[in-house]
Amino acid sequence: MRRLPSGAFRPARIAGGLASLVACLLLWLPPGVAAAGAANGDDHRQAVATLADVKAAIGELVRADASYAADPKTYHGAAQRAINVLAGTKSEDYVAAAGAPGDAPGDAPGDALGAIGRIDGLLDRTATPVWASPMRSAEANIRAAIIHLQDAVKADELMDYALAASRALDYLEVARGRPDEAGVFGGLEGVLANTELGVPPGARVQDGCHAPSAAPSYGLHGGYIAWVAVPGGEGRHELADASGVGSLDVRGGMIVLRTAAAGLVAGTCSGRPKRDPPEQGDPAGQPDPPASGQRAAQTRAEAGAGAAPPALYTEAQAEQGKQVFATKCVACHGANLQGTAAPSVAGNDFLVTANHNHWTLAIMRYIVFEQMPRNAPSSLSPGDDAAVMAYLLASNCYPAGRKPFPSADDPSFAKVQLAPLPGQRHGEDAKGVCAVH
Amino acid sequence: MTMRQSLKATAALCAPVAFGFIVAFSAAAGRAQTTPNTPSGQDFVNAAADTANWILPAKSYTGNHYTEATQISPANVRSLRLVWKGNIDDTGPMESSPIIYNGTMYVTTAHDHVFALDAATGKLKWSFTDNPHVISFAANRGVALFDGNVYLGTLDGHLIALNASTGQKVWDKVTVDDTSNSFYTMAPVPYHDPATNRDMIFMGVSDGDWGGNGNMTAYDPKTGAVIWRWDTVPGPGQPGHNTWSGDSWKRGGAASWTGVTIDTATHTMYLNLGNPSPDFLGTVRQGANLYTDSMVALDISGAKPKLKWYHQFIPHDTHDWDPAMQPVLFTGKVNGESRKLIATGDKAGNFWILDAETGKLVDHTAVSFQKGHDTAPTLEGNVACPNTLGGVEYQGGAYDPATNDFYVPSQNECGFWKATKDAVYIAGEFYVGGSFPKLVGPDTGQMNAIDVSNGVFAWRHHFDLPNYGGALVTASGLVFSGNLGGNENAFDAKTGNILWSYDTGGYIQAPTEAFEVNGKEYIVVASGEAGNAKIPELSTTPPRPNTINVFSVQ
Repeated sequence: MRRLPSGAFRPARIAGGLASLVACLLLWLPPGVAAAGAANGDDHRQAVATLADVKAAIGELVRADASYAADPKTYHGAAQRAINVLAGTKSEDYVAAAGAPGDAPGDAPGDALGAIGRIDGLLDRTATPVWASPMRSAEANIRAAIIHLQDAVKADELMDYALAASRALDYLEVARGRPDEAGVFGGLEGVLANTELGVPPGARVQDGCHAPSAAPSYGLHGGYIAWVAVPGGEGRHELADASGVGSLDVRGGMIVLRTAAAGLVAGTCSGRPKRDPPEQGDPAGQPDPPASGQRAAQTRAEAGAGAAPPALYTEAQAEQGKQVFATKCVACHGANLQGTAAPSVAGNDFLVTANHNHWTLAIMRYIVFEQMPRNAPSSLSPGDDAAVMAYLLASNCYPAGRKPFPSADDPSFAKVQLAPLPGQRHGEDAKGVCAVH
Repeated sequence: MTMRQSLKATAALCAPVAFGFIVAFSAAAGRAQTTPNTPSGQDFVNAAADTANWILPAKSYTGNHYTEATQISPANVRSLRLVWKGNIDDTGPMESSPIIYNGTMYVTTAHDHVFALDAATGKLKWSFTDNPHVISFAANRGVALFDGNVYLGTLDGHLIALNASTGQKVWDKVTVDDTSNSFYTMAPVPYHDPATNRDMIFMGVSDGDWGGNGNMTAYDPKTGAVIWRWDTVPGPGQPGHNTWSGDSWKRGGAASWTGVTIDTATHTMYLNLGNPSPDFLGTVRQGANLYTDSMVALDISGAKPKLKWYHQFIPHDTHDWDPAMQPVLFTGKVNGESRKLIATGDKAGNFWILDAETGKLVDHTAVSFQKGHDTAPTLEGNVACPNTLGGVEYQGGAYDPATNDFYVPSQNECGFWKATKDAVYIAGEFYVGGSFPKLVGPDTGQMNAIDVSNGVFAWRHHFDLPNYGGALVTASGLVFSGNLGGNENAFDAKTGNILWSYDTGGYIQAPTEAFEVNGKEYIVVASGEAGNAKIPELSTTPPRPNTINVFSVQ
């Protein structure tokens, strides 16, 4: 089943993350200075409560399943209570009669906000923190779960209920997430384990780029928790609700739990060589955190000069793509690929802009396969889409190879940054477009 | 075509019809002028009564394409003939409102070229060629003429000042916040603030469907410095902010890309704001999404604009049905009573008349076939009408005090919308959360005359193709409008009969205007490629030339 990774596509995440990283760097305290948690206590409380809401919803469904009840009301009630705790009392999806999970007096999960309202409240700020993308993703998955829970509430047969409820559970599990993922697939647990939202109010915070000097403490950098230091001595030490322990270090009488986000932080620490990103299933998790746009351009230019541009298509495929372009694309993008009513798609203007906007081959492919032609998106066959990609790459002076551009997506495309290629190419015109015959 | 050839071609004209061939060559040096070459602040206030010049995109601050000129009338319009036709050396659609002042016409083309022409002959005075990176779609709706300069907003977010006499660049400044998604298509609007005695250039940004938020900004004409900026999507802590869920307001849209209407008596600016984004995926931006799809009235008498009222036409739009038409301010008769009204249309096929003081609804007329207005696009897709190029479009319409009718074209076009599961923001790509509609069914344009007193059609005229050319009303009782079929038509304002028609050879999406040189009245309309209005019914062969067409009665 395809999940709903809201904002999961790499560029959104990196762009947002970068801005907040820069902001955090500017505001950062000198290393070693203890400070109160970077996220305010209320944010932490809301994030923890959101996770509690999602867990409560999951709990309702699991309990109903385990009850083996014969009365449909048991199942319908469970699904509605799950909706209630997720959507909140102000939502039109809320049905008071069903009650809310753990509907006890006091700080019960079934409140006005619900999980969605809490996430909306957390997101609604001018800054875009590193946890915004996983939070958005969690919200999208919660919304999807509610749609299936509504089917569950209306189910006449137990089988229909089971089908709808298990679909809802799928989405809720993704929303809950995993503490060992720092990106969008980390969900709420990933956020609490790896970002500033996981730091409890009043906890000691240190610069995550450095080794801890005291314990207990949280190593925070650029919004990410890199480690949690626990005193090595005897005694009971509380950890955050979810801790994304990736590895465990014992040093200087302290136990240092390195989080899944430790690799993301290492890349942003000044004076250290940039490390490879951690291998993750999360497509948005690749860190690329230069401090400024200028530096970004420089890094790319260097990378472009060093490595030969990849050969991603065949000549025959590019010629085929030229035919497709001539019938499906030329009206807006022009025979010279410089655009008539629409933007340019090859040459200097295109490549400079693509570089400026941090476009990768994956983004270009996404646009061609999913968004074009604009008046009839996805109307071309995958083979024709691939041929158009071949033609565009050829026109942008990327070299031909032996293997055709594939119809299926390839994760490695996300690593190919589009940028003007160094040097003059054979058949290149004044606009930087290479002829395809 | 070389410069020499083009000059020859222009010089060779002695026949009644001149064909001036305009090519983009470097600006010719102009002579020093002793008389002002651009209008004053007061000239703009008085623009409605000036039959010779056309100095604001919609003739005057009221937004009403109405001329008091009467030389061309129902009696003689049949003898209206082409005086000159200028071929424009640029691709893309022609959507320019020519600005005409003291016999010089300033027109723009899709890729931000500017041509200064002799308005009576079409002879090129100077040209300016900008070929900016196109973020979205190529279109330029015109320039502003002020303070000795021509002001141009570009497709890559620059505001440029050119010397009005020579076309030489005076200054050039990036005035948008995010160059990856923000650009200009509208004509800048000059304004003299009587309270501060300060000159301003008003400019709104086209970035809505590309993941930006709109704003209306007053710039200093001398430097391009920001005097004030009004954001169209309320941020945290501002009224209306709670109409957005989560942080959806950050890429909420409400682009400010239509014309600027000003009541100079009350210092009120009326703006129509664009649709919410992602356009077709409402689930990620729950709420009414203020001030998208709204008309706002701003008090601009102070140091910063203050919101007087807003009227949201379509709360939580999921079809890109924004009011693209500039609001038209006029005094009309409703139920026998004379009232100050403000009218506009939207792409959902609605024509709205509001009370200009309060923003309260006075009348509403459905001018296009409407379907599926309460249903959001689904993953599987569903039909709704009109589509994003239907309803009332950018060039809007005009009011005639003689008939108390409002003349506004509209289109019946249906669309097949599809939402995506999620909207992905890619810097520099459109951010719509679904598919742009595929066209279904025939595309039919109308020219409507709506009786302001009761909102009922006085007459309607139907066309096979969309009618995007807006309306020019003359005090002599004519309504001019061009359609996508390429015909420039003159209607009898009273009856709707077509009295005169001319095939421009291109597709018309530009407004019609009237002006005078040496006491002689002319009509002008640009024509050319279809651009985004391309539909299967339009042939691409042969390619349609981009032209300026000027007519007068012989």
